[in-house]
Amino acid sequence: MQGNYLAKRIGQALLTFFATVTLTFVLYQMMPGGPEQALRNQILSQQMGSSNTINPEQIEQLVENYTNLESDAPIYVQYYQYMSSVFLEFDLGESLYSEDTVTSLLAERLPWSMLISVYAMVIGYSVSIVLGAVMAFKEKSRFDSVSSVVVIGLNSTPYYVAGILFIFFFSIRNNVFPTGGRYGLGIEPGFNPAFMQSIALHAALPILSMSVLGLGTALTMRGNSVRVLGEDYLRVAELRGLRNSRIATQYVGRNAILPMYTQFMIGIAGVLSSSVIVEEIFSYPGVGLLVYDAIQVRNYPVLMGSLIVFTLVTIVAILIADLTYGFIDPRISSGGNNE
Amino acid sequence: MSNSDTIVEVRDLNVTFEMNRGQSRVVRDADLDVARNETLGIIGESGSGKSMLASSFLNAVVEPGVSTGEVTYHPDDGEPVSVLDLSESELNRFRWEEIAMVFQGAMSSFNPVTTIRTHFRETLQDHNRDIPAGMDRARELLESVYLDPDRILDSYAHELSGGMKQRALIALSLVLEPDVLVLDEPTAALDLLMQRSIVTLLRDLQAEYDLTLVFITHDLPLLTKLADRIAVMYAFNIVEIGTTDDLLYNASHPYTRALLDTTPDLNVPVEEMNIIEGSKPDPVDHIPGCSYHPRCPMADERCRSDDPPMMTVSNSHESACFYYDEADDAVTISAAPETRPASGQSAATDGGEN
Repeated sequence: MQGNYLAKRIGQALLTFFATVTLTFVLYQMMPGGPEQALRNQILSQQMGSSNTINPEQIEQLVENYTNLESDAPIYVQYYQYMSSVFLEFDLGESLYSEDTVTSLLAERLPWSMLISVYAMVIGYSVSIVLGAVMAFKEKSRFDSVSSVVVIGLNSTPYYVAGILFIFFFSIRNNVFPTGGRYGLGIEPGFNPAFMQSIALHAALPILSMSVLGLGTALTMRGNSVRVLGEDYLRVAELRGLRNSRIATQYVGRNAILPMYTQFMIGIAGVLSSSVIVEEIFSYPGVGLLVYDAIQVRNYPVLMGSLIVFTLVTIVAILIADLTYGFIDPRISSGGNNE
Repeated sequence: MSNSDTIVEVRDLNVTFEMNRGQSRVVRDADLDVARNETLGIIGESGSGKSMLASSFLNAVVEPGVSTGEVTYHPDDGEPVSVLDLSESELNRFRWEEIAMVFQGAMSSFNPVTTIRTHFRETLQDHNRDIPAGMDRARELLESVYLDPDRILDSYAHELSGGMKQRALIALSLVLEPDVLVLDEPTAALDLLMQRSIVTLLRDLQAEYDLTLVFITHDLPLLTKLADRIAVMYAFNIVEIGTTDDLLYNASHPYTRALLDTTPDLNVPVEEMNIIEGSKPDPVDHIPGCSYHPRCPMADERCRSDDPPMMTVSNSHESACFYYDEADDAVTISAAPETRPASGQSAATDGGEN
């Protein structure tokens, strides 16, 4: 049973991945001005300024070199070629405007995005779990009502507005944090304190503004905790004279956080996609900024490549959530046998 | 009852809830003595305050309820404990070690995400008991409630049936060797056979572990099979208390008699079943005189103005009615047995041994 379920679930994940990539490929192809046309336009507009002309064959040749696609081939052939290069050769093509391969661009940027996303998630969710739990314990108190209003307010504030406000107050007015970039100029990259500190300072504001995204979870946590506080097993635990710390963590905490586990994993996707805007605001050169720039100049291979990475991360996160849920909640037996 | 043999002594107990429309008094000036090693049944209709009375034994009335008055616990050896004056940490030690409580929500009394073993272990750990010895005791207890320890300890609550959960909870309640076990409708959600088997089980456990049982229910037939003494609650106080036989054959409060008369009988069609006319009082209202007078056929001026104290009917039997000696004529019980049988409890335990 167990093995069956695992195989089935991984199969589903692969199918989802494949379908997403296919759908995106088709959508990009259907968009007015596909990758080839954008590139052709780019070359033609460069030509306009100069006097020398390139003949159409040369243009076709250039387009083909840049995008790994035979631009005149029917769409299913293009699709086949792109997919086989992605899935069989793990080759995402080259950027349209530089000599770099998409893979190397992503590999260089991804760790920086991961840095701010992971910290943003950890901070956002930890703060909201603690806040939600405290709100539930002090239900109907002034603290509860004030925090509820504040959290609802923050949750309704788009993170990019928060980001802009942070830049204004912390960087421009008070000069506490830098306005952008990954680390300060003239600092020797490497494993030294000055470099580390610079990274932390530069990452602080993006992390802070993305953490705001997770704050809505505090309300979910509050609701779950209030529900658990009314459960019979909590009363029995109190009657049994258990330590308060055990009741708070093992009884209230665990049962209130459980339903949110999948939500956390899906949240990874939200954090990744929000990084596009956040990194643009803070000119933080991660994958998000790469995507943003690629959209500006219609750098389709880079867009496709980033999208594939985003999809992969999301699908893997949900897969892990599904497969591990049975371990953290014994009531969920790992599927399969109840069908 | 002699004071030396009293294990829990309740005096002037009041349980109140502050509500928007006024103070709700759900237990009013209750006095009660629980004798060591007896089984005391507390019976009354829903909302008569019986759960609140029993919760006060552990000072465990749910917030925002407040218990005032005196609840004194007399341990086997040592000083009496005033339960309502214990600090939070003292209370945590007191609960489950001296008085344990199994209450009506047995179906969901276990943390759904941990095994039954964890429940036993954490209880022992938080009361600073020796864990290996305690777990041996847990296995013994599980066996004595007819459960297979190896299977049960590794199970989660959702893997057990209702009856198994209830029995596992009873085993859990005895793991710290309490002297008193309060059972608040422990059989409410179980089928009849399981109810009877739990009752038998409790009787065996009581003999084996020298327990004092306080059993709360609204199931009178069930209670007669288990209890040595029965206290009847009406409108937030005890109106009659006596041995099971006293109450069955010589009920001396009109409410008790009416209650006995309403006990369903399969041979009687639904439309002919007896009911007590009127409705129970609101816990916010102040009731002048006897709390039962609006529904009592015997009520007169005195009942409307004065609150009757507990009157002694016999040595073991008290009733809060001015006319306790006239009650048997005024309120007849249609299916009442004519005479008290010679050998105490046995007549009431028809088929109780299954």
